[in-house]
Amino acid sequence: MQLWIGEWLPAFFNPQKRIFWGYLLSSLVIALLWLRLVDKTTIFSSAKRIFDRQVWISRSAMADYKVMLINTMLMLLVSPKILAKATVAYLVFDSMHMLFDGRPYISSILPQWFIAFSFTLFLFLLDDFARYWLHRWLHKVPILWSFHKVHHSATVLNPFTVFRTHPVEAILFSIRSALVQGITAAVFFFFFGDQVTLMMVLGASIFTFAFNLLGSNLRHSPVSVRYWKTLELILMSPAQHHIHHSTAKEHIDKNFGVALSVWDWMFGSLSLSKNEDQLRFGLSGEQSFDYHSLKGLYLVPFQQAAGLFLRLFSRIPLSIYQKHSA
Amino acid sequence: MKKSLMRPTLTIVILIATSLIFGCVFAKPEMYSSFPVTEKSYSGSKKDSTSYTGQMARHVLHNSLKKLAGKGNGKPNSALKAKMLSYYSGKDAGREIIDPTSKGDFKIKQTMVDQISKGKNLKGKTYKGIINGFPGQMTGPEVFEFMIDKASSAKKGFDPLTGYNYPQLISKFMMGAVFYSQAVDNYLDEKLAVDNKPNNKPYKKGKHYTGKEHVWDEAFGYFGAPAHAMALSAKQAYGIAKKKDMKVADANGDGAVDLYTEMTFAHAYYAADSDKTGTKYMHTIVGAFIKGRQLITDANGAALTDQQRAKLMGYAKTIKTNWAKVIAEAAFKYAGSCYKDLEKLRTIVESNGDASKAFAAYGKHWGELKGFLMALETSGRDLGEAGVRMNRLVGFGPVLLGGGQVTGIDSNGNLQTGGNRSMGEYQVHMIKLQKLLGDTFDLKARKNDVTSNMAGLLETLGSSLAAEND
Repeated sequence: MQLWIGEWLPAFFNPQKRIFWGYLLSSLVIALLWLRLVDKTTIFSSAKRIFDRQVWISRSAMADYKVMLINTMLMLLVSPKILAKATVAYLVFDSMHMLFDGRPYISSILPQWFIAFSFTLFLFLLDDFARYWLHRWLHKVPILWSFHKVHHSATVLNPFTVFRTHPVEAILFSIRSALVQGITAAVFFFFFGDQVTLMMVLGASIFTFAFNLLGSNLRHSPVSVRYWKTLELILMSPAQHHIHHSTAKEHIDKNFGVALSVWDWMFGSLSLSKNEDQLRFGLSGEQSFDYHSLKGLYLVPFQQAAGLFLRLFSRIPLSIYQKHSA
Repeated sequence: MKKSLMRPTLTIVILIATSLIFGCVFAKPEMYSSFPVTEKSYSGSKKDSTSYTGQMARHVLHNSLKKLAGKGNGKPNSALKAKMLSYYSGKDAGREIIDPTSKGDFKIKQTMVDQISKGKNLKGKTYKGIINGFPGQMTGPEVFEFMIDKASSAKKGFDPLTGYNYPQLISKFMMGAVFYSQAVDNYLDEKLAVDNKPNNKPYKKGKHYTGKEHVWDEAFGYFGAPAHAMALSAKQAYGIAKKKDMKVADANGDGAVDLYTEMTFAHAYYAADSDKTGTKYMHTIVGAFIKGRQLITDANGAALTDQQRAKLMGYAKTIKTNWAKVIAEAAFKYAGSCYKDLEKLRTIVESNGDASKAFAAYGKHWGELKGFLMALETSGRDLGEAGVRMNRLVGFGPVLLGGGQVTGIDSNGNLQTGGNRSMGEYQVHMIKLQKLLGDTFDLKARKNDVTSNMAGLLETLGSSLAAEND
């Protein structure tokens, strides 16, 4: 139990994590300001909306907390088996030597701050880009959707919904991170050596810090903060992420981006926010399973994925047979 | 507390505190010297049973041989070869100490090998097994004789056609094949057995030390540390070998550095080199030697009990493990040097500059790397797959500017080169070698670590484990 708490509790004090207390506080301030200044609600009704029982202690919210705690334990068990960023970095660093037959230093040409900024920016962009594509595949590939459904089965959103993740997804996210971090660190270190550093605030990348400080927790919250249209083409507003969680037909498979919406704009999945009524969150037309139960959260995705896999498998010999008989 | 009890309690507390303070301030640092005579059969006048003169004479023979190996003029030189062999395999009297010699204020007591110990050589104590890391499937003594022959005809010991730097190859391999091998595979191994050189008998008839006392002393001597090593910082012990710190070297204050007890040699020097970055190899090894010797002395000339022997084996294990780390740390450091040298060479070649100096530095570092790796083969402990990988990564020679590398020795005894390995690929080998050495020996100093800053950079990025959704 101590180990368990010891694993997730530090996330509240780690500025590299989204639920760092400072980011939760900044999100609260932004939410209050938004409700007061834009939605013109009273302080009392703003607080009532933010701290609504439904948001924090509904079955959906309780399921979020359960998943967060159970996943912490599961990740402890599987983490030694997951591809490590150091493995990726070594492999890439070695391969770069073969590619360039040695190591051409270009460090002396550029100033240190420029190298640090380039590295920090490149890492942020590649990470966000990789997140966009993995997220998109989680929606578009049926077997992957079986697992990502767990996240979308949340019927109310609060900042802890970010942890409502099936372990299979968590493994995919970890591999994605290892690849992004390993490749970026190795490539920059290869060319710039010791001059490469991460530009940080409180130990977090300046971009991660800015994204989180400016209300990343509102992506999963009852407060739909919108940006003006031009900005929503570049940065993903909380309201745009609410659209992503919406059950409305026109909102399906929209807004896969995390910090940037520019990827959605580029690849045709962007939906801008509108000042409309409260959206309905959850899964549309999939009410046959109780997705707030442990079985629904952990086992049903495997059953569905296995069903899809078997169906796919049974099609292969059929197609071969058809080809032969033609 | 009752008043009557307060006074004696206070007195005891003051006494304990005073003795602790005095103990800390005035405690004499432990030294590897002046262990009393415990051998019962000895009736002479000697009071000190400590004796490892033969080992220190061999250190001096090794240092001198290394110096001679760099004296060639590029043509076959039978006189030089004969002189080198006299230091390697001869036992003749009258051999002068070529290194270490006095330098400025740093006065050295002895000038002749015989002043330390007579009739000693290096060949008799060389590891006799096959050396897989060197071409030709030769035994340890055969490798040295081959290298001595080649060194005598190379210009300043360096052969630009193969990249071999013989003074470095001879020296670094000799520290392993003679000193390390003798200590860890002989004295701290089979000679610690119950019936081998027992403690209730003199080492040899008439000697003033027991079997186990002398066995332990000989192992200590091969490490190459000054007797007062525990009182020295890593920097000071290192400085002594560089003949820089007369004041700290001259422990007995007689105005001269005694090569028997006051000099830093061989692996003790490399332990100190690592320790400058924060490791504690020198003090761990010398401390274990002193504790072990005290245990034997405390047995007072009786055979060691099973319990005493088990404890002694524990000290031996500490020494062996840390000694191997010292060698591996040195190999790790020079793998990093070779990596950097290859980078420099690339820059020079691309700008059509003169690469001869940089190439010679590369050959020197490679010679050190190779010598230390070959040394690791001589411990009597098979390194298994790690050993095979180390040899394959480094190969028989440094990758030359044209991509060639020593591949073997022909029937006339000439080194052959061939192959076409890129320098970039060889740099990757150096990175892999560092990783392999670091993992196999659990290294801590890790000097010249090529990827340490990349590892540090990855650390700053935080954990890549993520159970958080988008």
